[in-house]
Amino acid sequence: MESADRAVGFLLSLISLSIFSYYTFWVIALPLFYTDHFVHKYFLPREYAIIIPVFAGVALICFLCMFIGYVTLKSKKKKA
Amino acid sequence: MKHIVKIMAVVVAISAFWVGLLQTSIVSQDYTWLLPIYFIVSLGCYGLLMVGIGLMQFPTCPQEALLLQQVLYLRFYYNLLLYVIVLDEDILEAKDFLKQRDVDVGSD
Repeated sequence: MESADRAVGFLLSLISLSIFSYYTFWVIALPLFYTDHFVHKYFLPREYAIIIPVFAGVALICFLCMFIGYVTLKSKKKKA
Repeated sequence: MKHIVKIMAVVVAISAFWVGLLQTSIVSQDYTWLLPIYFIVSLGCYGLLMVGIGLMQFPTCPQEALLLQQVLYLRFYYNLLLYVIVLDEDILEAKDFLKQRDVDVGSD
């Protein structure tokens, strides 16, 4: 059981570190390269660096609100 | 309180720096929201990282787990025993009740 916990923890930290490094490189380091450098091929245009997190944040807030509403309605129906 | 003041001071300093960069046109106005979103994303990443590290380092205490399991078994059997005793009492009570009403119970 503890190895499963450790594996999940390791996976989580790996995901978070990779997202952080990719995003940092994308936002901070990429503008310092020449526009015809080959590394620009691996990164989306920089507008997406704003659109994707905002979209993910809005989706998360929507999901949270729906979850809270669903739980509230279910508890109300059970009481009534 | 002091901790909050420190954090607010850092936030104000960073936003002043960013607004300065924007106003002097070193960064184009299209990228106004880049810094706040970058910090929010890195904060989320930091939280995930702490959760992952905590998961990896969480101790499992195998002896305590064994003791707990034994305690749970003991409690289960104790409850089972109580339940059986109560059932027996109920059966005896019901038999007495029926005998009073002159019903032949014919028990085993």
